[in-house]
This record gives sequence, structure tokens and C-alpha cells, in this order.
Amino acid sequence: MEGLFFNIDNGYIEGLVRGYKNTLLTSSQYVNLTQCDTLEDIKLQLGATEYSSVLSDINETLSTSLIERKLNNKLIEEFTYIKSQSNSTLTKFLEFMKYGYMIDNILLIISGTIHNRDKSEILKKCNALGWFETLPTLTIATDLTSLYETVLIDTPLAKYFQSCLSIDDLDDLNIEIIRNILYKEYLEDFNNFAKNELPTPSNEIMERIINFEADKRSINISINSLDTELSTEDKLKMLPNIGLLSSNENIKHQLASITDLENLQVLISSIGIYKDIFNESTANSNDENGKSLEDFFYEYEMRLNKDAFTQQFTFSTVWAYIKSKEQEIRNITWICECIAQNQRDKINNYISVY
Amino acid sequence: MSGAANREQVFPTRMTLGVMKGKLKGAQTGHSLLKRKSEALTKRFRDITKRIDDAKRKMGRVMQTAAFSLAEVSYATGGNIGFQVQESISNNARFKVKARQENVSGVYLPQFEADINESINDFKMTGLGRGGQQVQRAREVYSKAVETLVDLASLQTAFVILDDVIKVTNRRVNAIEHVIIPRTENTISYINSELDELDREEFYRLKKVQEKKQIAVAAADAEAKAKKLKAEKERLEALESKKAQLEAAKENGENVKEEIKETEEAKAGVVEESVVEEEKEEEEEQSGDLVAQTEDDVIF
Repeated sequence: MEGLFFNIDNGYIEGLVRGYKNTLLTSSQYVNLTQCDTLEDIKLQLGATEYSSVLSDINETLSTSLIERKLNNKLIEEFTYIKSQSNSTLTKFLEFMKYGYMIDNILLIISGTIHNRDKSEILKKCNALGWFETLPTLTIATDLTSLYETVLIDTPLAKYFQSCLSIDDLDDLNIEIIRNILYKEYLEDFNNFAKNELPTPSNEIMERIINFEADKRSINISINSLDTELSTEDKLKMLPNIGLLSSNENIKHQLASITDLENLQVLISSIGIYKDIFNESTANSNDENGKSLEDFFYEYEMRLNKDAFTQQFTFSTVWAYIKSKEQEIRNITWICECIAQNQRDKINNYISVY
Repeated sequence: MSGAANREQVFPTRMTLGVMKGKLKGAQTGHSLLKRKSEALTKRFRDITKRIDDAKRKMGRVMQTAAFSLAEVSYATGGNIGFQVQESISNNARFKVKARQENVSGVYLPQFEADINESINDFKMTGLGRGGQQVQRAREVYSKAVETLVDLASLQTAFVILDDVIKVTNRRVNAIEHVIIPRTENTISYINSELDELDREEFYRLKKVQEKKQIAVAAADAEAKAKKLKAEKERLEALESKKAQLEAAKENGENVKEEIKETEEAKAGVVEESVVEEEKEEEEEQSGDLVAQTEDDVIF
């Protein structure tokens, strides 16, 4: 039943995205990339892929950042196109996707405002995926009060600010804490949206992905905050209330209160899917070639994304595609970086699932 | 190096000679001291060159790891973290450079030391959501890189300063060795030769004076002799005339005989005296030559 009317509104988008998905680099293409000796070779290899159009007009000397920028431009182009073709629920869903990037952009501008940086320079650094019309107006505000009252209030993110932050917080709190509180609110809101408004297969997949995202953040926050003087209350504020870890009030509280790495590892390992995370990851050991926590997360996320394509008539394919593409850009950047810096022993640390 | 050009413009007197000798001695002492200084500095210089080489190699490695750890950060955080890092910097520097001075053979070399305040960490929160561990690791690696840079900076500064000082010292050593000492020596020999020249001139002058004197004396003697002879002659003539008178008067008496005898005796005495005087003069001339010979010996 759920697939019956799906194609009326979203058939084109799904077809488009699945078409895009086929252009994602495969393992063999990655292997070819890792064989390259120079960035020129990389360009040549990528010339045989979808990226040929964006890379062919590079006249300057190649650099990792240049390649990364070009690839990102393509991603943004595709996302903009998808978004312009979407309607109703899908549009809303895509808006939600953007919110995550918007949070980053807004915080960038807020921190720039605090430190009196050149506004136009900050705008250049914003992530284009998180671009929204009122973003430039954020830069006009010179102090935080006016920033909040005149600009933030009109952005789609105002609700997150409203529910968790007061104007005073903007002044005293560390920008990173604000970022994570906002992100928590965002994830919860997104999860709500996915659960209640998306049609059946989409909501299941998206819930899974969002919950994992929430867990990822919880684990990261609790590990990375070990050495900081954040109080348990502060940490609790940042941990999302969803996900396998934090939906359980008991575990969540423990996550926030445990102060040494070993106990934290025991706690996280007690959750089924994260059982192996510390066996595989060597985040706390000195083994340089081992997988890091991030690698584990990225890999798990990519598996989820790949799985998302197995279902038809879902919005989650768009999410999965955009995320896969992001990972692909990260992979290519990583390989370029390894080649440019002549650190070939780590070149195989990329994550490829297709 | 023509002798006249390469010496100081001085009056060749014994006093300047003394001054010049003092100057030469001072130059030689200064030369050996400077030479020693230059050697000490060169030793240090070589040491530093070696250490710079080591430090640069180390820096190459450290910088590479550092750059790579940054790549890891951008992979893990998936974006541009530079801005977050820039903005979270507080006013308390975690990494401070302390400078002190070291004295090497009178040259002050600045020495930089890294001073890390472990309690200050501005980036604790950075990457809280993701990539925090990579951020911390990159921070540590870069701290090490900066430490290496600080080491290298102090070596490099010392290198430049020492290089300058060694150049200056060597220039001085060479100047003393090749200009000042030869010139002073030239001046000394010039003064010596001038003094000898003066001596010889003086001696020759003295000799000339003596010669003139002798000629004058000889002339005076000859005149005196002539006068004497003339006087004698006159006396003789007078005696002769007296004799003639007496002989004429002989006939006049026996007493006259005795008078004739007396005058003849007187005549012989006068002739004897004049012969002795001539001999004396010859003797004087001989002794004068002897004095001249001994004087020559003294001079040469």
C-alpha cells in the first residue's frame, strides 16, 4: 500500500538518486586511485567517473583542497537539483537534512561575531549545504542580543535555540557546547519528524540512521569530554535522548558521569552493536595503523546507508546518497592527502562499501 | 709591497723606533689572541652547523607527521575545523618561548627555550561531537613540531651571529697578520736604515772636519818653520858677519878665537833642532790614520 502513490510525487527523485548512486566510486576504482603517484594521476582516474566534468576545467596546479572543493561543488549541485525537484514531505525531509549543516554555519557566524571577525570572510567558510536565505543577514548583527532577537528568531533553527538556550547562554557557554546542545535538539526533532510524518519504510530506515547518529554523538561526547571539566549536568544536556545508549535513562546517566575511559568502554561495549567498537578501534592505544573510533563509526554509517538502498519507495535513499557522497569526497581527499604527503602506508584507510 | 709605500709616515728618530717596536709587540699579542678567539668560535660554529643539520632533518620528519595528523583531523571531522580552532583561542598562551643568552668567547648568543604550560588547553572542546581525539593528537604533534622549530630558531640565530663574528674576527686577524705587522716591521727597518745613514753622514762629516783641521795645522807649521829658518838664517848671517868681523879682528887678539868657537857650536845646535821637529810631525800623521781606522771599525 505504501508504495502505491509514492511515484506520483517522488518517483522521479528516487530514479534520479538511484541513478546517481550508480556513479558512486566502487572498490576497484578506489584501488585504482590508491595506485596513483601524483595528483595529476588522480585527476586522470577521476576523469573516467562522474567527476570528469568538474575536474576537467582545472587550470591551476592541483592541490588536495582544490580537488575537495570541486567535488563538494558537484555534491551541492546535485543536492540543489534534487531539492528543487521535490515537493511536500520530501521537501520537508530535505530541509531537515540541511538543518545539521545550518547549525554549523550559524555557530560559525556566532563565534565570528564574538571575536569580531570579518563577516564576509566567515560567509565564505560556511558550508554551502547549510546555506539559507537569511544566513547573510546573520552577519549584520553586531552583538549577540540583536543576533538572537532579529535574525535567529526567524530562521528554521529558532525552535532549537528557544527550547534549550537563553540569550545569556550565548555569551558564557563554549561554542562547542552550544553546538552539541543544538545538535541534540535537532536530532530529536528530526527523529520525531521521521517517526510521525514519513511513510512506512522511510521512517524505519531513517529512525535507524538517526538513532545511530545520536549514539555516535553520545559516545564521542562522553569520550572526548573525559579530560575536560564539564560537569555531569552539562554532559547530560548534550546527550540526545534517542539512540540505543541514551534512550535508556540509566545508561545515559552513566555515560555522563563516568570519568575514566575503561569504565566507559565497558559500558559502551555492553550494547550489542557496539560490542566490538573498542576491540577494533585503537583510539586509546598507540598503534598508528589501527582503526580509529571515527573509522568504526564511518564504516557502520556507510553500511546503514548502503542498506537504505535495498528498500524501494523511500526518502531515505536521498539521505543515504548524500551521506555516501560525502564519505566519497572524504575518501578521495584522504587518498589525495596521502599521495600529496607521501604517506602511503595509511592510504587504505578509506571506507568503501559499494 | 714597495718599501716606501708600505710604511707609516713617521720621522725616523730613536723615539719613534721605540714606539714602533711597542706597536709591533702589541700587534703580535693581539694577533695570537684573536686567532685563538677565531678558533674557538669556529669550533662552536661547526658544532652548531652539525646540530642545525640534525634539527632540520628532524623538523622534516616532524612536520610531515604533523601535516598528516591534520589530514587525519579533516578526515575525521569531515570539514573545515580551522575556524573553530582559531576562534577558541584564549589570551593565555599554552606555548611560550623563553629567551636567554649564552656567552661564547665574548659573543652573546640568544637561546630560545620552549615552555609549555600543560594546564592550558584551548581546544578541549573542539571536535566534541566528532574527531576530538584526532584534534588532540594533531595538537600534540604540532606542539612537538613547534618545539623543533624553536630549537632550530635558536640554532639558526646562533649560526648567523657566529658567522658574522667569525668573519669580523678573521678579517681582523688577517689585517693584523698581513697589513699591520708588515707595515710596522717596514717602518722599523726604515727607521733603522735612516738612523744608520745619519750615523754614517755624521762620521764622514767628522772625518772631513779633521782633515781640514790637519791641513790647516800643516800649513801653520810650515809657515812657522819657514819663519824659524828665516830667523836662523838671519842669525847665521849675523853670526857670519860677526865671525867675519871677529876674523878681521883676529889679528887683533886671542880672545876672539874663543868667540868664534862659541858661534860655530850654536850654529850646529840650530840645525839639529829643525831636523827633530820634522820627524815629530811625521809621527803625528801616522797616529791620525790609526784613529780613523778604529772609528771605521766601530761604525760597521
